[in-house]
Amino acid sequence: MYPEHSLLATRRHLLQTSAVGFGHLAFQSLLQQTATAADATPPGRPADPLAAKQPHFPPRAKRIVFLFMKGGPSHVDTFDPKPLLDRDHGKPLPFDLPRVTFAKQGNLLKSPWKFRQYGESGLPVSDLFPHVSRHIDELCILRSVHGTNPAHGGALLKLHTGSDQFVRPSMGSWVTYGLGTDNQNLPAFITICPTLAHGGVNNWGAAFLPAYCQGTPIGNASLAASQVKVKHIRNPRHDETTQRSQLDLLAEMNREHLEQSGASQSLEGRLNSFELAFRMQTAMPEVQDISRESAETFKLYGIDDPVTENFGRQCLMARRFLEQGVRFVQVTHSDSEVQWDQHGDLYRGHTKNAAEVDKPIAGFLQDLKSRGLLEDTLVLWGGEFGRTPTAQGTDGRDHNPHGFTMWLAGGGVKKGFAYGATDDYGYYAAENKMHVHDLHATLLHLMGMHHDQLTYRYAGRDFRLTDIAGHVAKEILA
Amino acid sequence: MFMNPALRKACRCRVRGVALSILMLLLVSGPSRILAEDSAGLEIFEKHVRPVLIAHCYECHAADEANGGLKVDSRPALLRGGDSGPAVTPGEPEKSLLLEAIRYGNPDMQMPPQNRLAKAEVEAIEKWIRLGAPDPREETLSPETPKALGLSIAEGKEFWSFQPLQQHQPPTVQQTDWPRNPVDHFLLAQLERQQLTPAPPADKRTLIRRATYDLIGLPPTPEEIADFLADESPEAFEKVVERLLASPHYGVRWGRHWLDVARYADSNGLDENLAFGNAWRYRDYVIEAFNKDKPFNRFVIEQIAGDLLPEANQETRTATGYLALGARVLAEPDREKLVMDTIDEQLDTLGKTFLGMTFGCVRCHDHKFDPITQVDYYALAAIFKSTRSFADSNTGAIKHWFEHSFADEAEQERLKEIDKQIAEKNRAASSYKSQATTALVNQTRALATEYLIAAAQLHPSQSLNEVAAVAAPLGLHPRVLHHCRLHLHYHQDDALFARWRELAAAGDLAGIEQHYRPLFTQAEAAWTQARKDDPKATRLEDETLEQARLALFDAAGFLAIPAKPEFAFDEATLTEYYRLMEEARVFESQAADLTAAMGVSDGTIQETLPVHIRGNHRNLGVPVAREFPEVMRVSTVRPILPKSESGRRELAEWLASSQHPLTARVYVNRIWRWHFGQGIVNTPDNFGLLGDRPSHPELLDWLARTFIESGWSTKQMHRLIMNSAAYQMASRHPDETSSFNKDPENRLLWKFPLRRLEAEPLRDAILAVSNRLDTTLGGKSVPLRNRQFVFNHTSVDHTKYDSLRRAVYLPVIRNNLYTLFEQFDFPDPTMPTGDRQATVVAPQALLLLNAELVLESADAFADFLLAQSMDDTQRIQLAYERSFGRPPSDHEIQRALTYISEWTSAALAEREESAPSKTDGATKDASPERQAWSLFCQSLFASNEFIFVK
Repeated sequence: MYPEHSLLATRRHLLQTSAVGFGHLAFQSLLQQTATAADATPPGRPADPLAAKQPHFPPRAKRIVFLFMKGGPSHVDTFDPKPLLDRDHGKPLPFDLPRVTFAKQGNLLKSPWKFRQYGESGLPVSDLFPHVSRHIDELCILRSVHGTNPAHGGALLKLHTGSDQFVRPSMGSWVTYGLGTDNQNLPAFITICPTLAHGGVNNWGAAFLPAYCQGTPIGNASLAASQVKVKHIRNPRHDETTQRSQLDLLAEMNREHLEQSGASQSLEGRLNSFELAFRMQTAMPEVQDISRESAETFKLYGIDDPVTENFGRQCLMARRFLEQGVRFVQVTHSDSEVQWDQHGDLYRGHTKNAAEVDKPIAGFLQDLKSRGLLEDTLVLWGGEFGRTPTAQGTDGRDHNPHGFTMWLAGGGVKKGFAYGATDDYGYYAAENKMHVHDLHATLLHLMGMHHDQLTYRYAGRDFRLTDIAGHVAKEILA
Repeated sequence: MFMNPALRKACRCRVRGVALSILMLLLVSGPSRILAEDSAGLEIFEKHVRPVLIAHCYECHAADEANGGLKVDSRPALLRGGDSGPAVTPGEPEKSLLLEAIRYGNPDMQMPPQNRLAKAEVEAIEKWIRLGAPDPREETLSPETPKALGLSIAEGKEFWSFQPLQQHQPPTVQQTDWPRNPVDHFLLAQLERQQLTPAPPADKRTLIRRATYDLIGLPPTPEEIADFLADESPEAFEKVVERLLASPHYGVRWGRHWLDVARYADSNGLDENLAFGNAWRYRDYVIEAFNKDKPFNRFVIEQIAGDLLPEANQETRTATGYLALGARVLAEPDREKLVMDTIDEQLDTLGKTFLGMTFGCVRCHDHKFDPITQVDYYALAAIFKSTRSFADSNTGAIKHWFEHSFADEAEQERLKEIDKQIAEKNRAASSYKSQATTALVNQTRALATEYLIAAAQLHPSQSLNEVAAVAAPLGLHPRVLHHCRLHLHYHQDDALFARWRELAAAGDLAGIEQHYRPLFTQAEAAWTQARKDDPKATRLEDETLEQARLALFDAAGFLAIPAKPEFAFDEATLTEYYRLMEEARVFESQAADLTAAMGVSDGTIQETLPVHIRGNHRNLGVPVAREFPEVMRVSTVRPILPKSESGRRELAEWLASSQHPLTARVYVNRIWRWHFGQGIVNTPDNFGLLGDRPSHPELLDWLARTFIESGWSTKQMHRLIMNSAAYQMASRHPDETSSFNKDPENRLLWKFPLRRLEAEPLRDAILAVSNRLDTTLGGKSVPLRNRQFVFNHTSVDHTKYDSLRRAVYLPVIRNNLYTLFEQFDFPDPTMPTGDRQATVVAPQALLLLNAELVLESADAFADFLLAQSMDDTQRIQLAYERSFGRPPSDHEIQRALTYISEWTSAALAEREESAPSKTDGATKDASPERQAWSLFCQSLFASNEFIFVK
C-alpha cells in the first residue's frame, strides 16, 4: 500500500498521485464554486474562502489600489485652490473653529504654491504635482471628504476600517471577504510598506473576519522598498528540491494519518495548505521582483532617481500584483516620521513629499492605462485627513478632518471631474459632503457590492464596513 | 439620588407619556384646526417646505425609514420628533431642532448630511415654523409604531438565560454501563433520544495526550506515558488528572484561557502604542489564581472591585487590571469622549466576559434584540463614571492610564533619578542632531552663491541623480541644490531672484557670481554689524540687503536643508546620531519601572448619569441612577449604593452572587468550551437572543449548580468533566457516517472532537519536543519600559520573540502581534474572545516550513536524537514517542530511515560534485546527516498528527 522504496525516486509518482488524489480533487472542485459576495461562509467551512465570488451586481472595478499619503496632505495646497485664502491671508477665520481641534490655530495662511489649470477639464492643481497634473483628465477629485477624528491614530483607523473607536476589519479585508480573489497563489489583499504606527496592523487587519481576509504586509514604512518581503516566504537554508522532498514525506505522513483518523475537512484542508504554500513561495517573490522590468519602466516610475526611487518601486510592485489578480493593494507613502504631517515647515515638507510621489504616481497611472488596467482598476489617493487653512505657528497647518481632498481614477468613475466642495477657505466640507463612510459605500459600490448587504455576524451583531451609515455618491459614477 | 425601579419605570413612561399627550392634543385639535390664519403658513408649506422635505429628508426620515428615531412625513411625527426630542416647536423657530440642524450651526447635528440647504430654503422653513408650522399631512401609520426592538423586560425574564438556575436530576438512560458520572447521564439521554451511541473509549495513549495538552498545554513525555500505561489501577487516569492539576503549568494553560476573555495585552495599540509595562502583574495574578484554584466568585469580585475590599492588598488591586487593560484612543483630544469610550469598553468587556451580553450596542440605543435598555446601560455607566481609569499625567497629547503604585519613597526617588537619566540620553541625541544641523546650515549659507550658479545649470524637473552630478564637483549638497532649484521655480515672482532668472536664462554664470556674491557678503557683514550695534536689531535698513539677509537665513528658503537626518547628514554624522538614539532607546527599555499595577480606583462619585442620546456625549437625556440591568435582577429589594463609593463593589458582589442567572452559567460553559472545543452554548460570549441556545440546557444548569456548590472551584469542574465517559471517548466512531448524518456538528458529543492545537501549545510543544523549552514562570517579559512607545513614528518594532519560555510569557503587542500568534488564530487582544477560531490557511504552512523557530527547533531535536547512544531505529522511535506520544510502525521506521539515508547520500554526492575542497571544512552542524535528521524532525512538527489532538 505504501511505497517502501525511495521517496526521492518516486517524487514524480507522488506528485502525480497527489495531483489526482482525492484531496486535490476536492480542492479543485471547491475552487470552481462561486458563491455570492458575502454569502457568509462561516469560518472553518471547507470551501476555499479565497475563491472568486460573484458581486451583488456587475462591478465597474475589479480591483482597488490605495495610494495612502500618511500624515495628511494639505488639500488647499494641492487639489483644492482657495482664492479667498490668498486674499484674506493673515486674517482670522471668519467663522467658528470646530469644538475640538488638535492644536492651537492661528490666522489664515495662504498657500505657498500656485495653482494652474490642466487638461481639457481645466481642473486646477498646484505646482506640487507637475507630473500628476498631466493626468488630470483621468482623475475624479473628491473635494468634500470628511471624517471625525482629528488625531492620526483615530483618523487612520476611521479611514481604513470605518471605526476610530474599536478594532474593525479593514476595507481591504471586507473587499476580500466579499469578493475573494482571482489568483489562488497570491494573497488577496496586500499592503506594501505600511506604517506600524497609528493603528498599525489594525489598518489592514481582518479583526473578527476570518483569517484569510487579513492583509499581507510586505515590509513596513521603516524599510526600503528594495529590501522588503513577505514574512517566511523563503526558506533561509533549503533549496526547492530539498523542500519538495520534505513536503513529499510530509504529505505521505499526513495521508496516512488522514486514513486513520477518518474523513476530516480540516485535515484535508491542511494537507492542501502546504501545497498552496509551496506554490506561493515561488509565485510571490516572482511577482514582487521588479528586476526584469525595462529601463523605460524604471524611468517612468522614477526608480532611476533617489528622490522617487522608493515610492516608485512600491508603485511598480503594486502594478505587478494588480496585474496578477490581487484584489486590493495598498501602497503607503510614509517614512520614519509622520510624512505629510506639516504642523510646521509646510513649505519644505510638502515640497519634499510631493517630489517623492509625484512622478511615481504619474508613471503608475500611465502604466496602468497603457496596459488597459486602468479601465477596471480603481485608484484611490489621499491621506487620513487634510490640513487647516489656518496657520499653526508661522509655516504650518494643523490636522483637518472636517473637509479634505482625495481623488479616484479608473474603475468606472467620471474622468476630469471634481465632486463636492469645501467652504470658501477650505475648512469644512460644504457641498456634496462625503463622509468616510460614504467613501467606503462608494468604493464597495464600484466593486459591485451593496455596502449595506456586505455583512458579517459576530458576537450577536451584523457588522458592516459602513456601520450604520454610508451613502453612495452616484454623481461620480461614469 | 438613587432612583427606585418604579420611579425609573415612571421615567421611561414619562417620555412615552409626553409623546402620547402631544398626540392626543393633536387628535383633538390637530387637522381640524386648519383655520384662515394658517393659510399663509400653509401656502409656504406647500410651496417651500413640503418639496424640500421630500427632496432632502424623506430618504432617511419617512415611511419605513426613521433614522435617529425621526420621521418628517407628517405633522405628528415632526412634533413628536426623534431620539433628541421634538423636531418642531410650532411658533418657536429657535426651539426647533429641525431648524438648528438645517442651519448647520451645530457641528454635531447638521442636516441634510451631504449638502446644506439653500439660504432661501432655510429661511422659508424658519418662517413656516414661526407661523405655527401648519401641516396638513396626517400620520398614515400608527403613531406608536413598534420599534424594531427585541425582547421586552418581561419577555426577557422568560428567556432561558435570564431564568434562575433550575434543579435537574440526572436523567435515566438505557445504556446503564456507560455513564461514569452524572454528566454522562445528561449527554447519553440526549444521544439515545436521537438514536445515537457514544464512541468507544479512547486508548490510553490518546487519553494522556489529550489530557496533558488540555490541562497544561504541553505534550506528555515518554516517561509520563510509560507510567500511565504501566498503571493498571482503575484510578490511573484520575491520578494523571490530579498530577496535571497540581502542575504550575496548569495555571499557564488555563490562565491563558482567561486572558483571552480579559483581552490581555502588553501594549495599548489602538491609536498610540504605548507599552503596558505593568500588565504582566495582572497576567501573573491570573495564572496564580488558577493554580491555587481561587474560588471563581472571589476571582470576579477582585477583578472588578479589588481596590474597594476592606482587606484590599497588592494582589486584589492588581486584579483590577482587568478593567484597565482595554485598548483606548489615548490621544483622543476630546476628553469627555475618551472617558465615555473607555467606560463603553469596560462595560462591553464586562458584559461579554461575565454575562455573555453585548452591552456595547446599548450605548446608542436600546438593545435591538436583548432586553437591555439604554437606561440599564447608563445606570451601569454611572458606576464606571465614578471610577477612575486615568492618571493625571500625560506624555504630550497622550493621556496616561491609572496605576496603583506599590513603591515606597526610596523607590520613588530612585525612579526619579532614572527618569532624569533617560531624559539626558534623549537630550544627548537631539542636541547632537541640532549641532550637526547648525553646522550644515552655516556651511550651506557660505556657499549661497555657488548654489545659485549651480542651479542655473539645472532644470527644475531634473532628477536627483542629475543634480548630484552637478553638485559633486562643486562640493555642494545634492539634496540642498535639488531643493534650491525647485524653490527658484516655485518663486518666480521673488524680486531677489529676478536678476538670477535673467542671468540663468542667458547662461551667464559669471554674471550670477558678480551680482550675488557681493550682495550676500554685504548682507551678512551688514547684519553682523547691525547686531553689534544693537543686539536687539531685527532687520537691516537697506531693503535690498534685508531681502538678501532674509533669504539667506530662511530655514525654508532657497537654501533649506532636508529635514530628514538621512537626507541631510553624511554617513559618519548619521551613524553617530543613530547610535545616540539607539543608546537612549535601549537605556529606556531596560530601565526599571516603578512597582505598580494597572488598575482602577474610585474617582468623583456621580450618583446619576444622563442617557446619552444616540451615544452622543453632546446630546444628553434623562439622568439615571446607578443600578444593575433590570432583566438580570435577582431581588425586588434594590441595593443601596454608598454615596462615598462608585458602587463597583456592589456590582461585583451582585455578579458573583449564587442567585445570578448568568455568571455561573457563562463560566461553566466556558470551561466546557475549553475542554471540548465547543460550548453547550456554542456562543460562549453571547447568551442573548442572537446567541446559540444550549444543546443540553439541563446539563448546563446542573453544572452551574454543582460548580457553585463546590465553592466555585474550577479544578472541581475539571475533575468532573475529565472523569466522565464523554471526555474519555475516542475521536472516531465505528458508525461514523450515520452519526454524522444525524448530528454533523457533533453537538451531542457522539465522539470526542478532533482539535487543532492553538498557537501557544503548538509553539510550546515544538520547543518541548526538541528539548528547548525554558519552564521559568512569572515576571515581566515585555522588553519595554512602562509607557515607552512600542514604535513611535519609526515603525521599527524592537520586540523580540526569541525567548524560549512558555508562550504565555511572550509579549502581546497590540498592533503587531507575534507572527506565529497571528497566523494561528491568537485572539484579537482588543476584545474578549471565548471561542477562538481554528483556521487552516497557507501562511501557517509557510511559517512551519520556513520560520527560524521551527528550523532551529528541528536542528535541536536532531541534535538531541543524535546525541543519544542508540541506533537510528531507536532514534526514530524516540522521535515518534516525543512528537506523537506513540511508537512508529515498522513501515514508518523504514520510511524515515530511507528518507534520511537517501537525502544524506544525495547531499554528499552533490557536495563532492560542486565543491570537493569544502568537505574537509564541514562541521558537524552542516553535516548532511544532521541536516537530514533536521528535515525529518521538521516534518514531524509540520504534520497533522502533531498539530491535531485526538
